[in-house]
Amino acid sequence: MPTWLQWMTSMEYSKPIALLIFFFTFIGILVYVFTGKKRKERLESYKYIPFADDDVSDTEDEQGKSS
Amino acid sequence: MAHEAAAADSQYNYDIIKRFAVMALVWGILGMFAGTYIAAELAFPFLNFDTPQITFGRLRPVHTTLVIFGFGGSALFATSYYVVQRTCQTPLSSNMLAGFTFWGWQASVLLGVLGYVNGYTQGREYAEFVWPIDLLITVTWVAYFYVYVTTLMRRSQPHIYVANWFYMSFILATAILHIVNNLAVPVSMFSLQSYSAFAGVQDAMTQWWYGHNAVGFFLTAAFLGMMYYFVPKQAGRPVYSYRLSIVHFWALAFLYMWVGAHHLHWTALPDWTSSLAATFSILLLMPSWGGMINGIMTLSGAWDKLRTDPIMLFLITSLAFYGMSTFEGPMMSLKSVNALSHYTDWTIGHVHSGALGWVAMISFGSFYHMIPRLWDTRLWSKKLVYTHFWLATIGIVLYITAMWISGIGQGLMLRAFDDYGNLAYTFIESVSFMHVPLVTRMLGGIFFVAGILIMAFNVFMTVRTAKREQAEIEAKIAAKMAKAGA
Amino acid sequence: MKFRFAHESIEINAGLLIALTLVVISIGGLVEIVPLFYIDETIEEVEGVRPYTPLEQTGRDIYVREGCYTCHSQMIRPFRDELLRYGHYSLAAESQYDHPFQWGSKRTGPDLARVGEKYSNEWHVQHLEAPRSVVPGSIMPNYPWLSETALNTSDIEGKLRALKMVGVPYSDTDEEYQANVERFGEDAAKMLDIHTAEENLIAQAQAGNYDGDRSNLTEMDAIVAYLQLLGSLVDFSKYDEGYFAEFR
Repeated sequence: MPTWLQWMTSMEYSKPIALLIFFFTFIGILVYVFTGKKRKERLESYKYIPFADDDVSDTEDEQGKSS
Repeated sequence: MAHEAAAADSQYNYDIIKRFAVMALVWGILGMFAGTYIAAELAFPFLNFDTPQITFGRLRPVHTTLVIFGFGGSALFATSYYVVQRTCQTPLSSNMLAGFTFWGWQASVLLGVLGYVNGYTQGREYAEFVWPIDLLITVTWVAYFYVYVTTLMRRSQPHIYVANWFYMSFILATAILHIVNNLAVPVSMFSLQSYSAFAGVQDAMTQWWYGHNAVGFFLTAAFLGMMYYFVPKQAGRPVYSYRLSIVHFWALAFLYMWVGAHHLHWTALPDWTSSLAATFSILLLMPSWGGMINGIMTLSGAWDKLRTDPIMLFLITSLAFYGMSTFEGPMMSLKSVNALSHYTDWTIGHVHSGALGWVAMISFGSFYHMIPRLWDTRLWSKKLVYTHFWLATIGIVLYITAMWISGIGQGLMLRAFDDYGNLAYTFIESVSFMHVPLVTRMLGGIFFVAGILIMAFNVFMTVRTAKREQAEIEAKIAAKMAKAGA
Repeated sequence: MKFRFAHESIEINAGLLIALTLVVISIGGLVEIVPLFYIDETIEEVEGVRPYTPLEQTGRDIYVREGCYTCHSQMIRPFRDELLRYGHYSLAAESQYDHPFQWGSKRTGPDLARVGEKYSNEWHVQHLEAPRSVVPGSIMPNYPWLSETALNTSDIEGKLRALKMVGVPYSDTDEEYQANVERFGEDAAKMLDIHTAEENLIAQAQAGNYDGDRSNLTEMDAIVAYLQLLGSLVDFSKYDEGYFAEFR
């Protein structure tokens, strides 16, 4: 087995290292996703994709349901 | 926004979705009935009738296979084909291959359960299929992957909607898990029996890596894909936060694969493995709840829909149960709690709060939304949807409560000591104690089965009405054409 | 600038999305599973553990076939109540020849990891045929067909060969046989010889008389032989209390 994998199995090393790696990756994703006004607009615009193929009958049906 | 490419309904392949949806209901009814029957066998053992084919040990895999792969699997095929076509605004890339996935999957489920009742099993939980069926599933899955990806590539806009990410990760993860966990050597080319490639502790780790990720990717990630499409559609408003859904996806996909070993606390598995798994189980609470909040908050500002729309009630309740069981799960993965809960009915109750409360409820909600659109009609009865909702909810509550009582009760009894340091109870005394909870659990199951039967009736009437309407319209058109011709 | 567009390229490129998802979902499994195959401490060294004899393996196959694992575990945990109820906690070594493992996940019935030699053969036969006749209140199904079904012995050689392929040291050549003699002793090594598997199976069933009827070889013989073996191979009096803790 590669030594780095052996090293991973020892809890005193793997725990803090893994914690750091995952924490910073996670923070990275968070920062990326939640910063920038343009990015926000771009990302949030995607949530309308499911409604892009609504045809007339579908919308009517939706209104019919709520009445 | 790319509205311009909206394809007409007629271009989509709805036929394959209809077939999968109907089979999901068929397997669902059979599987839930099998579950209720084995629940009854535990309460009243004479129901085994000294018949090998229907004893608990052989019927239990029948139940799990029918509900997970038959009902859940078919529901996922149906909704994923629906979502991928409608969010990419393109028909499926290959109708023939999609048709193959239908027959491959249905044959696997049917042959699998026929095998179990006759004693052909691999003896691995949720992976009991014998090796030839494993091969058939693998081929089917490769076809599924191909159809899904090539359809995605034909989409009319650059961005891939997040629901498809979840479905995609489910297809990938299931492929890896299925292949690795089923590595085995057959006794001969003509024998259905095989021996797994791994033994003992490695086999246990592989199996629970598979077993828990069947929960994580088959029963969670994929159904989250369902959630990210059908909740916004039914609510008529977009998902609460698209950015949260991105974080949700990557966190969930990463964290889930670590947690399987929490099924092996205090066993011969080295401690570091199960401790690591427990740590990740706790972390998993974050993305789980992030996703739940994202789903529920989609309805913010339109809460009144819960009063008027029973389908919304199904979807939101399923998210509530998802939140509950994803809180209970990490708690049960703590080693001290697990010492009591493991091997008892508490685990069974936990699984069912996820399986009935989350998986089945979100499928029911999505189906009630999707089925009228597939057949281009309206639901036959909204009242029956309400009836189904209440039957299902009461069933789940009875089920979970009964299992808490019997599980925690048995756990406490088995670890109780008398004043002299001897065991306070024999094993059989704990079995007798569990009789009332087991009967209650069976009642919960009956409620739930009654609910899905009502749903099946409602769907049947909806489709029949749709076909009749279609025939009338066609007759009118034909009459007009005839007039015009004359 | 480069990083700014990184995530967007994932979102619009199906291939990249697939590749990254694969990476992300693989890490957990790799880190937890792969080391188990390498670390020496995963499986402790214990005297006495040997592969199953042909009869025991046949019994084990019946155990798997009937789905006993859906209600019985074979994994005792290191707690005082389990020590008193079932015996010493299970060792990884004790299931090292189990393909597949049958640790189970639910105790609707008691743990069976050390059920061997606790009850007589007669008790097991009666209990399997009609559990409530010996344990009132039991919810176990009756298994009367085990005594009525003749034992299939013809495919045992194929089974042992398949097991050999996945790593169980059944012997095919003389060298392998000699190695087994050294490792498990001569009596056990004879039982692990693939060429005499069927003879050995029948001989052990007749000598052991597990179902109380020497003339008839039934599935009951095999499953009782298997149950009587469970947990009986390791002599725990030979080891210090602390010895096994090192491997946890």
